[in-house]
Amino acid sequence: MNKILLGGLALSALFAAVSVPAAAFEGRTVAAPNCDYGGKIESIVAQDEFTVVFNLCKPDPAFKAKAAFTPFGIEPEEYIDTAGVDGSIISAPIGTGPFKLEAWNRGDSVVYSRFDDYWGEKPAYQTLVYRWNDSGAGRLNELRAGTVDQITNVSPDDYDSVKMDDNLQFIPVVNPNTMYLGMTNTFAPFDNVKVRQAIAMGIDRQRIIDNFYPAGSEVASHFTPCSLPNACVGDPWYDFDPVKAKELLAEAGYPNGFDTKIYYRDVFRGYLPEPSLVAVELQTQLRDNLGINAEVVVMESGEFIDESTSGRLDGFYMLGWGADYPHITNFLDYHFTKGTVQFGNPFPEIYDNLITASTIADTATAEPYYVKANNAIRELVPMVPIAHGASASAALKTLGNAHFPPFGAPQLQFDNPGKDTLVYMQNAEPISLYCADETDGESLAACQPVVETLLNYKMDSGDTVPALATDCSANDEATVWTCTLRQGVKFHDGSSFDANDVVASWAAGIDASNPAHKGNTGSFDYYAYLWDGFMNAPAN
Amino acid sequence: MSALSRASAQYSEKIDTEGLLGDPKPMWRQAISRLLAIRSGQIGLVIILILLFIAAFADVISPYNPQQVLIGVEQVKKRDAPCVHFLGCDTAKPQHIMGIDGNVRDEYSRVLHGTRVSLTIGLTTVSAALLFGVFFGAVSGYFGGWIDMIIMRLMDVILGFPSLLLAIAIVAVLGPGIQNALLAISIVTLPQYARVTRASVLSVKELDFVAASKVMGASHRHILFFRVLPNAMTPIVVLATLGIATAILDAAGLSFLGLGAQPPMPEWGTMLGSERNQIFSAPHLVFFPGIAIMITVLGFNLLGDGLRDALDPRLNHS
Repeated sequence: MNKILLGGLALSALFAAVSVPAAAFEGRTVAAPNCDYGGKIESIVAQDEFTVVFNLCKPDPAFKAKAAFTPFGIEPEEYIDTAGVDGSIISAPIGTGPFKLEAWNRGDSVVYSRFDDYWGEKPAYQTLVYRWNDSGAGRLNELRAGTVDQITNVSPDDYDSVKMDDNLQFIPVVNPNTMYLGMTNTFAPFDNVKVRQAIAMGIDRQRIIDNFYPAGSEVASHFTPCSLPNACVGDPWYDFDPVKAKELLAEAGYPNGFDTKIYYRDVFRGYLPEPSLVAVELQTQLRDNLGINAEVVVMESGEFIDESTSGRLDGFYMLGWGADYPHITNFLDYHFTKGTVQFGNPFPEIYDNLITASTIADTATAEPYYVKANNAIRELVPMVPIAHGASASAALKTLGNAHFPPFGAPQLQFDNPGKDTLVYMQNAEPISLYCADETDGESLAACQPVVETLLNYKMDSGDTVPALATDCSANDEATVWTCTLRQGVKFHDGSSFDANDVVASWAAGIDASNPAHKGNTGSFDYYAYLWDGFMNAPAN
Repeated sequence: MSALSRASAQYSEKIDTEGLLGDPKPMWRQAISRLLAIRSGQIGLVIILILLFIAAFADVISPYNPQQVLIGVEQVKKRDAPCVHFLGCDTAKPQHIMGIDGNVRDEYSRVLHGTRVSLTIGLTTVSAALLFGVFFGAVSGYFGGWIDMIIMRLMDVILGFPSLLLAIAIVAVLGPGIQNALLAISIVTLPQYARVTRASVLSVKELDFVAASKVMGASHRHILFFRVLPNAMTPIVVLATLGIATAILDAAGLSFLGLGAQPPMPEWGTMLGSERNQIFSAPHLVFFPGIAIMITVLGFNLLGDGLRDALDPRLNHS
């Protein structure tokens, strides 16, 4: 009887296979009507179940480096279509990463557990915990007490004590970064280029580096750190010249200076290790060198980022940038390209050159454009680059494979704490866990264990290695990138990964008309800046 | 002026001249002499007098301008430890008895100037709270009825919130800054003065000399402000003295949170807050402002205790 039944079932299955073929893969597509909208991406097409094609409007030699960046992480198509629309995605990401989210205990921690169906090498421990503390001393105390395994951003004053502590590892961080003093040119008196030039000359940047930055930091000769190709072509920044600065300020109609504010967030960053001290130092220098009375205003981190990047701060602001991927476009295009309002109205003298240069793969061919762009930045002074900061992380000696990569957050799945739980402590709580719409480093770090991208960065360099895509290759013009996807990958919700997930995830960020184009703030900064704007955006 | 009013005024002057209604001068003289005999009062008074001296002459006794950055001026670096030549510090190094702060300024000069800021905060907030609190409390207690009910329920509402939390909320709405912090502290402390004044006025207004004034036709304003209030001030004076200490603590707390005095003003709470993360690497930058707050608060508390004992008629001062 059983035999007959089994045979019958097998027969039914055979009939089903023959008479009702498996549903054919229906590939999704997101596309702009044409390339007139000014962005880089014309369309993204799921060509088959495991092939995605990115058709670009213009060449992008940095495509792979960008595609490896956390904001371009992949979540399930169905989840994007529901949670991306109702907003629940911002606190409950579903990815393919080595860890799945267990709980986000607001104000305390984010807890992850090992994903046992992970396609790659599984972590050596069960539970990963992200915690935060904005105090450098507080983080170090926790590390010394053994309540955390690794901390970010050791205070410069603690470098020596960490190095001498037999129970700790000192981990230098070589992430290229820049700290700058921003101004928004839509507010007076920063709408006057002479005022901005006066400020550029009136700040003794070397004094700031000497007194408030750790050894290894340097004065910024250009906006982009010189370790990146073409970063430091063109004229170096102005020398400190308070006399000339006062003359310029007088010419601009402010012989006695003016009243303004210095906004900042009190969050430790590699590019700005002691924000409150540097704010007071700048306040002092502006007063003594230029007669400018600046009130120091500390803001909540998320609000500060939102207000500054939206060009809504009416005074100076101290901000910086750590490299996300190893290409000059990550620094210059994000801050100065067309459509960027962070410093007020963008300057065509800068962005025209950047747009042209970003389509050129060859470094030498692109150099003249970056020379012009850097010189225009120097001439127009949208901001004053101050420092390229050195920073360091620290870990318990017992943490195996402790590291801090030059790009991205530590890939903690490769660490081995020698116990079931690894606790990682960073500076601040994530703003949200939907990183397509975040730029904040703490948020990106907290997304990384859960959500994976097509490619990944090597642990010791900015080179890319396969992740969800086994390969991404371009045509000769670098205008069509074809990514072959990894097969057999599962999401944390049990669904299978395919090309439609990639298209849906990218569409939520790049397509302004997509119902899931909501996110946390809706700004999707990295999609806008790295791909030169949203497709299908409303005319206004 | 009517004949009755003239007679009333003459009677009042006669009473005042003879001190029958309790001429306050002899009473205060007695109180001061009693205060000077009380040990806690003596110590408190000495501390306050020293602080007043420092506040008045901070510019003279400070070795540096509290906002002067010493980069390029001396061979010092941020958060240098205290250097006292007398205690063995190399004489080739510049002397900074409380060390150097995070912005390379002399900590001692900043702590000294902080005295001026803190005393100003304490006296200003208490004065404002006294002015309005005593007025509302006196009117409330004297007239009673619906006036009393409205004023006291309003005070109850303010008292319903934890004072520092309410002050933080007020500053959060008005914006950080020393003036807004002063206003917030004045508002949250005002009900205490109103309540104490009301209670005191309620008891004094039933005394015979007040009834006598009423019989003689004195106006309510005259009775309240020239007869009742002077005789109801004893507990208010004690409360105000203790209140200065509380106000200084509250202001330091707000500044510690970044809601009060803003950089580069040398305010103790701000100094503490800006260096709180360096408690292990540069403890002197937390220790000295903390000690300054502690001594000041102690001084006003001791003086307040002494005044309370000196002005308490139930204690045998003989």
